[in-house]
Amino acid sequence: MVVGIKDGAKLAGIMITSFCAVLVCTLFLNYNMDLVSMEDVITAGPARMMYDALMMTSKVVCCVTGGCLLATTVIMLFFYIRHYIDTHKKELGILKALGYSDMQVAVHFWVFGLRVFLGAGAGYLGASLMMPWFYGTQNADGMLPDVTMHFHPLLFLYLVVGPALFFAGAAVLYACRKLKTPALSLIRDNLWAEVKMPKHRAKDADSSFMAELKKCTLREKKILVFFMVFASFCFSAMTQMSFSMEELSSAMMGAMILLIGIVLACTALFLAITTVVRGNSKTIAMMRVFGYSRKQCSQAILGGYRPAAYMGFGIGTVYQYALLRIMVDIVFRDMEGALVYEFDFPVMCLSLGFFAVVYELVLYGYSQRIRKISIKEIMMEG
Amino acid sequence: MIDLKEIRKTYGKGESSAEVLKGISVTIKEHSYTVILGASGSGKSTLLNVASGLERPDSGAVLYGGRDITTLTEDELTAFRKENIGFIFQQYYLLPNMNVDKNVKMGADLVGNREYRSLIEAMGLGGKMDKYPGQLSGGEQQRVSVARALAKKPRVLFLDEPTGALDEQTGREVLDYIGRLHQEQGFTVVMVTHNRNISEMADTVITMNSGRISEVYSNAVTKNAYEIGW
Repeated sequence: MVVGIKDGAKLAGIMITSFCAVLVCTLFLNYNMDLVSMEDVITAGPARMMYDALMMTSKVVCCVTGGCLLATTVIMLFFYIRHYIDTHKKELGILKALGYSDMQVAVHFWVFGLRVFLGAGAGYLGASLMMPWFYGTQNADGMLPDVTMHFHPLLFLYLVVGPALFFAGAAVLYACRKLKTPALSLIRDNLWAEVKMPKHRAKDADSSFMAELKKCTLREKKILVFFMVFASFCFSAMTQMSFSMEELSSAMMGAMILLIGIVLACTALFLAITTVVRGNSKTIAMMRVFGYSRKQCSQAILGGYRPAAYMGFGIGTVYQYALLRIMVDIVFRDMEGALVYEFDFPVMCLSLGFFAVVYELVLYGYSQRIRKISIKEIMMEG
Repeated sequence: MIDLKEIRKTYGKGESSAEVLKGISVTIKEHSYTVILGASGSGKSTLLNVASGLERPDSGAVLYGGRDITTLTEDELTAFRKENIGFIFQQYYLLPNMNVDKNVKMGADLVGNREYRSLIEAMGLGGKMDKYPGQLSGGEQQRVSVARALAKKPRVLFLDEPTGALDEQTGREVLDYIGRLHQEQGFTVVMVTHNRNISEMADTVITMNSGRISEVYSNAVTKNAYEIGW
């Protein structure tokens, strides 16, 4: 069959987002469940307020982190499946021509769910290992009686098995939907002679080829613009939040958020740029045949994403500020010696500077990679 | 003048290796219309790729006016192609998401050619500037690729089986356009084909067989695209 275990191995992005989502949610939900069992002991006074605040914090963190990462994983999964079908049209078309039904072909896409299981399983395992440390930090302030750590197997079912089954099912259904194309159209697919007319027509007849190519690249794969925005958003929000968390919560929380942010940002950035370069390798090859320099190719193909990346950084900055503001103003408002939170401008500048350096270095790395695209191999594929 | 000296090229390694070019030496005169003729697998397309700087030979030299392009770096080679070379391929390789105007502009912008639309008109595609490759016939697509190649005002135009995917009528039309533009603009034409009839349009014919040049001859009288057989 066309789809195999090895193809699922390419879904590193999905594994990483599943890992991060389950790691965070397991830590907080497990703590929450143990905390709830102590509700009767905590009756009044500052302890009750602290209890309510911790419960609310856990819920907010799980909803925001889990929800965002779940949505991102779904988008990534659909993107991978679509990309897989696009790049294996001929083989899939032949299977259909031989008499395999859409569902018979699509059912093999379940392996994509296996990656979610592995990522989520690793996240659960990681959370279990971190749990004593996490509980220790949460108990350190002494405002509540020490919360004793228990393992809740139900969480494994809800956070690992459930999502894996959901993603396997979603992968099969989405693939089935995408495969509803006549077999001949799939077999005859030729990227160079695609009879696909852009919806958007060039409005400015005098715009340069490079400007038009930049626009086309952005228009054709809007989902990659999302990944680019998401990458910078994660980087911006998580790095800035991690510094504030150090003061608002603990150094461990700060470090965890920082790590998750950087991992997610790198994953999304890698996924987006690799897809952009691969998807445009024929255009790049033709440009190089004609004499466009590596720098020009890079500018036309990758340069268009720069505004999106910096916009994502801006959104991330606003998001993390709003989230922490809400947390401090609403969750901790009734507590004595309420925490003070102000926007940290120096941290934002530091984060922006670091992001700019990383982003430009990655682009430079890929522009070097463009040099290595074999013109002849691309032509042979024609 | 393009001088190819002792060009050798082997693909693969060990037992599965195949020597495609076996010490080719030939000279292509400036402004000439040269056809490289040969059967499938004779090495003619590899020779074209090496001569145009798309591929590097394992050994030998490719001299353009005495300058050996095999010693250039990848970036220098790209700059060299920008200034000197135009390509037309059997599969057109037009950018599917760009209209005719922008596809031709791809070549024109490289040399700041603002008059490129006259080329599109000359190719009989004046009314199809806004059409996308998917909306054009094979012949029209190949004419766009001719316009794109010529819009960068190349000194040498390399063509790899330009009529290979076209029917007779359209093939003749494309060859006629190229022949007329060669006469008008004086660029050097190097065309690879397996169609012996097309070689009657050339002033110089290089025949290849199993990686070697078997014959080089000149046509005293050349024919136009409508005079040759098909």
